[in-house]
Amino acid sequence: MNKIIVLLFLLLSFIGSSQEIEKVIARQGHVSFFSHTSVENIEATNNQVLSIIDFSKKEIAISMLMNAFVFKKSLMHEHFNESYIESDKYPKATFTGDIIDLEPLEIEKQVKLIKGKLTIHGITKEVEIRTSIENFNGKYILSGDFDATVKDFNIKIPPVLAPNIAKIIAIKFRFEYEPYEK
Amino acid sequence: MNRKNKILLLLLAFLSIVSFIYYKVSNPYKIDIETIATEKTVSANELVASFNTNEKLANTTFKGKIIEVNGIVKEITFLNNRNTVLLHGNIPSSSVLCDMQQDQLKAVKRLTVGEQVKLKGICKGFLKDAILLNCMLINKPTDE
Repeated sequence: MNKIIVLLFLLLSFIGSSQEIEKVIARQGHVSFFSHTSVENIEATNNQVLSIIDFSKKEIAISMLMNAFVFKKSLMHEHFNESYIESDKYPKATFTGDIIDLEPLEIEKQVKLIKGKLTIHGITKEVEIRTSIENFNGKYILSGDFDATVKDFNIKIPPVLAPNIAKIIAIKFRFEYEPYEK
Repeated sequence: MNRKNKILLLLLAFLSIVSFIYYKVSNPYKIDIETIATEKTVSANELVASFNTNEKLANTTFKGKIIEVNGIVKEITFLNNRNTVLLHGNIPSSSVLCDMQQDQLKAVKRLTVGEQVKLKGICKGFLKDAILLNCMLINKPTDE
C-alpha cells in the first residue's frame, strides 16, 4: 500500500514538474545550408543559433548571426557576408512561428508543421516547415530541413557567379533545448 | 622589346592572374588567432553588460574584432561536435559563448566550471549571449 502511495506521489511530482516547463531555450542551435551546382558545392554551418519555444503559446522564435556562418573557403565567406547577405546591414536572420498542434508532454517523437515568418536580408516571407520534435525527459530536440529560394530574399548574385550558386538552397536545422531560466 | 619578349611577358602576367585567382578561390577558411594581435581586452561581465545596455554601440566597439576576454567558466559543452566554453556575464541569462578552435580540445577538457580563464577570439555579435568564434585559451597549452 505504502509503495503505491510513494509511486503515485512520484508520478504526480513528475507530471507536475513537466508541466512547469513553460519555455525552453537552445543557445547553440545548429543551422547549415547547402548550395549544389555542377560548378561547385557550397556549404556553411552556424552552431550558435538561438531559439526559444514558449509551450503555453506553442510559439517558436529563432535568431542567428549571419556573420557566424563558417565556410570551407575564405572567399565564399567573404562573398556571402559582403555581397549576398550584406551582414553589416542585415546582421541577423530571424524566424517566428507557431508549432501547429504541439503536444509538449508527448514522449513519442512528433512530426509537426511550423507556420511562420522567415526574415533574411531584410525580407520577410511566410513559410511552412515540417519538423520532428523529440522529448527526452523534458529535454527537447527539434530538427528538420527545408528549401529557400535565393531570389525570394532579394539576394543579388552577379551574372558571372550565377552558375556557382544554386537557385534553391537546402537548409538543415537541429536545436537541443533546456529549461529557460530568466 | 621584341615580339617574343612581349608574348612571354603577357603569358607571365596571365599566369600570375590565374594563380592569384586560384589561390583566392581555393584558400581554406582558416584564421590563426594566435598570430593576430588582440584589439580589445575586456572582462566577460563588461562585455555582456555592454551588449545588454546598447547593442548598437557594443557592435561598433567589439564586432569583427579580435578580443581578449577574462571571466569565470559557467559551462563547457561539446554539442554539435564543437568545443564551447561559456563564461558568466553580469546577469544570469546572458553569457559569453566561446566557440573554441579544434586544437583547444584537450585544454578545454581540462577546464572546470568556476575556473577563472582568459581567452581570445573574434567577436561576431550578440543574441542572448555575446558570440566569439575561433577562440583559444591564453596561458594554457594547446594540443600540439
